[in-house]
Amino acid sequence: MAGKGNPRAKGPNRNLKNAKTAPVKAIKVGVIDYKDVATLRKFVSERGKIRARRITGVSVQEQRLIARAVKNAREMALLPYAGSGR
Amino acid sequence: MSQIKYEIMIIIDPSIDERTVAPTLDKFLAVVPKEGGTIEKIDIWGRRKFAYPIKKQAEGTYAVVNIESEPATVQELDRLLNLSEAILRTKVLRFEEAVVDLRAEKRAAYLAQKAASEGAEKVAAAT
Repeated sequence: MAGKGNPRAKGPNRNLKNAKTAPVKAIKVGVIDYKDVATLRKFVSERGKIRARRITGVSVQEQRLIARAVKNAREMALLPYAGSGR
Repeated sequence: MSQIKYEIMIIIDPSIDERTVAPTLDKFLAVVPKEGGTIEKIDIWGRRKFAYPIKKQAEGTYAVVNIESEPATVQELDRLLNLSEAILRTKVLRFEEAVVDLRAEKRAAYLAQKAASEGAEKVAAAT
């Protein structure tokens, strides 16, 4: 959760350690496969957008692999592109 | 020279009869053994609805082929597939890129670490 920081932690007397949001339960994945649509759906919103890491709770490395897999699945029309729905 | 494992996903025009899909694929895949590669698996998924239309079609027949060959061979195979009207789309990926097994990776890392620490212990015991 480093990097941009928490936008809510603006006040000067806010303790940075306490400002961290409650840790989200990471979605567990064993195998990341672009063909496994059922698993990838968990990482995609209803509109087809890839869910942010702060929501999925997976590690940076895993999130990258998931993003790759989702994009590959989109190219093969297994998953919709964001916004193309409805 | 260097044989690499590939996974090729192919979307075939739905107007092609399901029964003729396998022979059509075999015709294309003939280049692989001819150039010294091996076909490991052909998995025909059958018809599947697209998430969005491709070439005005709403569905297509999916097939996943695993091969082990030279890079030049897959390149040629992909070129031949794309020339055909019956093939709507293809995707060539290295097998390890297509399917990433995190559990296996973690296990490998753990084993490597264990082996390294055991090796260090042996050295310590010898001295």
